[in-house]
Amino acid sequence: MLEYLEFLKWIFFDQNRYVYILDGLLFSLATTLAAAVIGLVLGILLALLAISHFYPFKHKKGWEKFNPLSKLAFAYINVIRGTPAVVQLMIFANVIFVGYLRDTPILVIASLAFGINSSAYVAEIIRAGIEGLDKGQMEAARALGMPYSLSMKEIIIPQAVKKILPTLVSEFIVLLKETSIVGFIGGIDLLRSANIITSQTYRGVEPLLAVGVIYLILTSAFAVFMRKIERGLRERD
Amino acid sequence: MIEAKHLYKNFGSLKVLKDISLNVEKGEIIAIIGPSGSGKSTFLRCLNRLEEPTSGHVYIDGEDIMDSKIDINKIREKVGMVFQHFNLFPNKTVLENITLAPLKLKGLTKEQAEKRAFALLKRVGLEDKSQVYPSKLSGGQKQRIAIARALAMEPEVMLFDEPTSALDPEMIKEVLDVMIDLAKEGMTMLIVTHEMGFAKNVATRVLFMNEGTILEDARPKDLFENPQNARTKDFLYKVLNK
Repeated sequence: MLEYLEFLKWIFFDQNRYVYILDGLLFSLATTLAAAVIGLVLGILLALLAISHFYPFKHKKGWEKFNPLSKLAFAYINVIRGTPAVVQLMIFANVIFVGYLRDTPILVIASLAFGINSSAYVAEIIRAGIEGLDKGQMEAARALGMPYSLSMKEIIIPQAVKKILPTLVSEFIVLLKETSIVGFIGGIDLLRSANIITSQTYRGVEPLLAVGVIYLILTSAFAVFMRKIERGLRERD
Repeated sequence: MIEAKHLYKNFGSLKVLKDISLNVEKGEIIAIIGPSGSGKSTFLRCLNRLEEPTSGHVYIDGEDIMDSKIDINKIREKVGMVFQHFNLFPNKTVLENITLAPLKLKGLTKEQAEKRAFALLKRVGLEDKSQVYPSKLSGGQKQRIAIARALAMEPEVMLFDEPTSALDPEMIKEVLDVMIDLAKEGMTMLIVTHEMGFAKNVATRVLFMNEGTILEDARPKDLFENPQNARTKDFLYKVLNK
């Protein structure tokens, strides 16, 4: 037993190998955070486009129900959700960020790729949340004379946020785990740090388990934190 | 005050309203009765453009609300509406439900809006509920708050879309009593309802709608005691002898 602990100590602390894990952890967290912000902002925009009431051709026969903004949003969502994240990531690294952009840090490329990937899912979560609300809420607000934007701000969005939050949290948990494919484009994240330690120590199991436990701790902490916030929101009504 | 001219409304191939015209004078209390699916609610909802008429015109105080240049929100401030399912805002307290629109649209200060709200709460008999969230109220209480919320905008006319249809029988009276008080004060009201007693005793005029048209338009006494149309007779026979 004591022998094994000594062995673990050697794997992770000899030549300060745990620093790889810390660096990888930092990379994973930074990518996730940046991607979450990009995904949330883009996702909100996309959701608003998808549910917009923009009918520029409503006086043209056959085109009354044609909403180019919503069509565009759905096409984007369809493409992003319909292709693997790892393919998108590699397209970003090997097709878009080449030539002049070759020296772009991998952190930036990864954040953009994951952010755009996440935005499609976030958009669908938000759209479903808003459309799932009782139609009477919007009608009541409009009937009082409140404009669309004010009704959204005061009535629809506060209610939708409460409904959306749990699903949004799981989307961000998925995002954190998904960043582990960043090794495909040379990013050194949590998972890659385990590989590096393996290559130096010839021990495959312990570094992987250590990394798995770290992922689990991060996602659990996040879930607990969000559940607290949810409960706080729910107490109001 | 309200004039509807040749209103038509289609949902796809379904013709819900077929050439409806109506003139409402200030102070009239109009009950709209008729079988389900006859277009009563759709007609009411066309009057503040919650439902977009397929063709026709609606004039409120002489202004054509179908005009694309008109600010429909300004019109809606003058036309209060009460819904079958109350549609109170669950994320706001009773007081906030009532003060929200006056604060945001009428430029009232918080004190003014709250003073008005408390006066209205007193009128509907729910002063003690101001800090409560709607989920804690009974159906009848919710509907009384919904009426107060609409009145807070000081509308010139009130539209009621089956205001008692979703209520337990015991709670219908408390809502009707509030509506009767409102009628006595001279509010112009259009009420889609299945409460025949209310239509008969409170309304100044009753419309019978069937299959998207107004079949009969008469004083309550005449319509209930001496209906002219065979369809009206049949409907009244069924609802009054159930």
